[in-house]
Amino acid sequence: MEEKRISEKESLEIITAMIARTKDRYIGNGNIMLLWGYLTVAVSLAVWILLAVTLNGAWNRLWFLIPAIGLTVTPFMDRKHQRDNGVKTFSDVVTSRLWAIAGGSEIVVTIVCLIIRYLTGANCWSAMLVYTLIAMPIAEIAQGLIIKEKSLTAGGAVGLAVGIVTVCCVAGHISLVASWYMPLFILAFVAMMIVPGHILNSKSKQQ
Amino acid sequence: MKELNPLLHSQLRLAVMSILMNVEEADFVYLKEKTESTAGNLSVQLDKLSSAGYITVTKGFVGKKTRTVCRITATGRDAFEEYVDALRQYISL
Repeated sequence: MEEKRISEKESLEIITAMIARTKDRYIGNGNIMLLWGYLTVAVSLAVWILLAVTLNGAWNRLWFLIPAIGLTVTPFMDRKHQRDNGVKTFSDVVTSRLWAIAGGSEIVVTIVCLIIRYLTGANCWSAMLVYTLIAMPIAEIAQGLIIKEKSLTAGGAVGLAVGIVTVCCVAGHISLVASWYMPLFILAFVAMMIVPGHILNSKSKQQ
Repeated sequence: MKELNPLLHSQLRLAVMSILMNVEEADFVYLKEKTESTAGNLSVQLDKLSSAGYITVTKGFVGKKTRTVCRITATGRDAFEEYVDALRQYISL
């Protein structure tokens, strides 16, 4: 395209063509979802196995590896993603803020749980499970609806279903026993993060 | 009949503005690819749009590589809308 004067009809054609070209947008890859998905599944399996073998509750501290590694690596991956993408649309901004709210409030819940534990000795970590499996799936379903990606909506729905089961169990004082709850928790993250992450990567390669 | 804004009534500048009206921000490489322009020409036209206050151009780094990001301003959005209104009159839409 060169710098030259144009007719009114050509102006209209340029506007129409550019609008059409911005619609062919890069869907983005699923690497950040895969990072959080595999990290959560790996830590969950590690905690589950170590608790079963040693019966030592101290292994629960390994859960903190998820935010420690995830929050450190995500900004680097996000910057690379932005550079590869080259463009940021309104839906990118909305979904990015949605995840920031979901992730940020997750940190607040962790801090509140730590404060309650420190002040009263009460163990309210089940609130983390409930919150994670409600806030994250809702953010994912919303993202799926915004970018019209069914794998995100479906994965989020599976996560939300596990979240609803968790809420009901906690409210009904039913113990979340590792033997049945951990596989369910892992299944939720496979459905929410790992499967959609691979699908997004596959679509991204096709583009 | 309203006069067409001469700053926008040019092939490449209009193409850039049309893209930026549809996105929150776009980098130099993306604009160059979508407008099928040369780096030199695009750079000159971006300077003109930026001087008119129609777009903001932010230069930064991603890793070791430079990245120039363009965003449309409120003035640019108004100018584009006025241009489209004027265009409608010319082609009697």
